[in-house]
Amino acid sequence: MKEIIRPALILLIICVIASVILAIIYKQTAPLIAQNKLMAEEQARKTVLPEAAVFKPVIENDQILYYEGFDTDSSLVGYVFSCFQYGYSSDVKTMVGLTTNLKISAITVVSQMETPGLGANCTKLGFLNQFSGKDPAEIYVDKDGGDIQSLTGATITSRAVTNAIRDTFLKIRDKL
Amino acid sequence: MKAFQEFTKGIINENPVFVMALGLCPTLAVSTSVSNAIGMGAAATFVLLCSNIIISLIKNLIPNKVRIPCFILVIASFVTIVDMTMEAYVPPLHKSLGIFIPLIVVNCIILGRAEAFASKNGVFKSILDGLGMGVGFTLAIMVIALIREILGAGTILDMRILPASYKPMIAAILPPGAFITIGLLMGLLNIFQNKKKSKA
Repeated sequence: MKEIIRPALILLIICVIASVILAIIYKQTAPLIAQNKLMAEEQARKTVLPEAAVFKPVIENDQILYYEGFDTDSSLVGYVFSCFQYGYSSDVKTMVGLTTNLKISAITVVSQMETPGLGANCTKLGFLNQFSGKDPAEIYVDKDGGDIQSLTGATITSRAVTNAIRDTFLKIRDKL
Repeated sequence: MKAFQEFTKGIINENPVFVMALGLCPTLAVSTSVSNAIGMGAAATFVLLCSNIIISLIKNLIPNKVRIPCFILVIASFVTIVDMTMEAYVPPLHKSLGIFIPLIVVNCIILGRAEAFASKNGVFKSILDGLGMGVGFTLAIMVIALIREILGAGTILDMRILPASYKPMIAAILPPGAFITIGLLMGLLNIFQNKKKSKA
């Protein structure tokens, strides 16, 4: 009996110590992480719509539909929306900038956990830049008959990015 | 001299990837490009070193029967701590290395060294062992990544080294390329080891 209780107790103690340490560190880091994420999103909005200086969220039913971007003279220069779709191994979240005539200004991948070296290449500029100037309602990857060139060995990730942008755009188009 | 051997044994004679065939999952998955290999190698070496230190320190407190759950607990807590601290205080580093962190948990080299070495040796030796094994792992994954990146993309560290007319062998950066490369390298290493043995 003693042989069972002693190891179990020690394991319990180690578990408790580990959880306490993790809880303390989580409490310390969680607000910083949230703040970093907000800053990274603000940065991403500036990347996809560089003309804009101020972004104002457009909210419907407590959800942010998209952001309107205004320049320093507070005239509307475009819109920013974010979208995501499950790629090969993770949700690929993309931020999209639109000009006022509803063409894509630029896009950037905000977060993804795709395969390093294959799907993770969706963050590279060579892939992202081909979206600029296109009509977001008409984008398809090459395998689906469109003109977005898929990443080598990562058609699924490329398709997730492309389809997420198109689907989300079609949903919010009438509200812009 | 003996201490130095604890370091060097991980690089060739007991190389975790080529000789002990440990940690193949991250090796196969992340060796698609040299920069990824360096990131994975550095992150894994760091965690390996720290887990070796902690486990060699608490080895006398852990009852034999529950040692494996204890090791896993220490490693998993450590990986999580590293992940959270990096994300909070050095977001750029977390952005480039963050993707490797969940993969470290499945790296059995770390558990393997905890069980086979750190739980039986002192702190100093465990540090050398962790460093040596980490360097051995990093070198192995870099060699595989070098071959795969040159063949599959014609580049090293994203710099083009083969002429633009070279048509990349895409299979090399896909999973089959990983298996074929690692198999051939293991075979080559075995030929050398066998020659050494027959001479001795």
